[in-house]
Amino acid sequence: MSGRVVVRTLLVVAIALLAQMTVLLDIRVSGASPEVMYLIGIAAGIVGGPVDGAVVGFVAGIAVDLLSPTPLGMTALVGTLVGFGVGAVSGGVVREVRGLPTLLALGGSVIAVMLYAVLGKVLGEPQFLRVDLVAVVAVVAVANAVLAGPAVRLMRWALEPSADEPAASRRR
Amino acid sequence: MAKAVRQRRSRRTLATFLVLVLLSVTIITLDETGRAASLTSGLKSLASDIYSPLRHGVNGVLDPIGRFFAGAVDYGSLEAENQKLQDQILGLERQHASDIAGQREYAALQRLLATERLPSIASLPAVPAEVTAQNVSNFAATVNIDKGRDQGVTLGDPVVGPGGLVGVVVTATRGTATVRLLTDGKSAIGVSFGHQQAATLDGAGAGRLLQIQYVPSTARISRGELISTSGLQGGALPPGIPVATVTSVHSVVGAADKQVTARPLADLNDLTYVEVIQWSGSS
Repeated sequence: MSGRVVVRTLLVVAIALLAQMTVLLDIRVSGASPEVMYLIGIAAGIVGGPVDGAVVGFVAGIAVDLLSPTPLGMTALVGTLVGFGVGAVSGGVVREVRGLPTLLALGGSVIAVMLYAVLGKVLGEPQFLRVDLVAVVAVVAVANAVLAGPAVRLMRWALEPSADEPAASRRR
Repeated sequence: MAKAVRQRRSRRTLATFLVLVLLSVTIITLDETGRAASLTSGLKSLASDIYSPLRHGVNGVLDPIGRFFAGAVDYGSLEAENQKLQDQILGLERQHASDIAGQREYAALQRLLATERLPSIASLPAVPAEVTAQNVSNFAATVNIDKGRDQGVTLGDPVVGPGGLVGVVVTATRGTATVRLLTDGKSAIGVSFGHQQAATLDGAGAGRLLQIQYVPSTARISRGELISTSGLQGGALPPGIPVATVTSVHSVVGAADKQVTARPLADLNDLTYVEVIQWSGSS
């Protein structure tokens, strides 16, 4: 990753975090609110492949962990796994298949929330399975599926080097 | 040649992935075992101190947008709630016209109840605070407040809102704090009912009723009964703070304890201002 890509990616993560901690907290359906930080890792996986997905998923996850009352590192681990998985699954077919980013965001979000809940239970956090998991999964998955298009465009702007950058930094 | 390059790239991909997974697992382990508790809580505190002013500023600009979407999502329920409130107003107007004396008596009882509740915490210093965010995570029932260590808020301090106890401070940074609400699945408060009978009040998740544990099958407890803090648990909380009212009592044949549920006195879904009782420092 070039310096410019790193700065742009961190900017996207910071903006998503700010939106997550402000306006998105007001949107509650059956007590659950959207979680767009998983979407950032998923979108990075779609645009840049498994490594970018894992790295951005980790950074977005650790950022949200630092501001949440839940154990540090859990969202980072889930973000890494889901970002990598989506990147590996999407491969090179995404650009040809219409609607695939939406499906990947939907599926990735369902897996992320379930994984987070199970991981919490394994770590002895009793409250993780005392929430309305169906509502949380549905709200997070639908919101991320709806926002998949803009998120992918944003990550493409962040991760893909522009034409004026040296050829060495262009991987795609 | 191409195959070798592909293999090398694949190995690098796997190595990056494994490093990130190991890093995450290490952070979780350090946080959960408490071996680097000061480091992890320090990092969280620093992040919160950096982010709070940003969040505060952005909230002012973005709140109307969030409320617009929230209103759009909840339009059906808002309409129903509006109708319900109109019906209630009509009923209250009728009641008010026919029973002014009863209204006065009710107000007097409310005042009396308020004075009865006060002595338990009246002598303790309190920090008024504004709720800045509610339920930051879908997996924890918490609120963030705009007062922290600099204002005298410390870990374990009880937080009260309109009606009664709201929760306990679980993290405190220089200028903010996080309060774990009574409904959080991790919350467990020592309470008493009747003639100083002790029990434990457990949270069962946001929006769900509280569970009162360890109520013997022989104990006298009834629906509508007031539950207050017991002051036990090594004096973790001051005694006598009203917490909840009993909503249901079930006796199971052969069981040693009754199954009792309760509803918090404070409306935990609509908190704007709260008071942090400076108990941990004083006790």
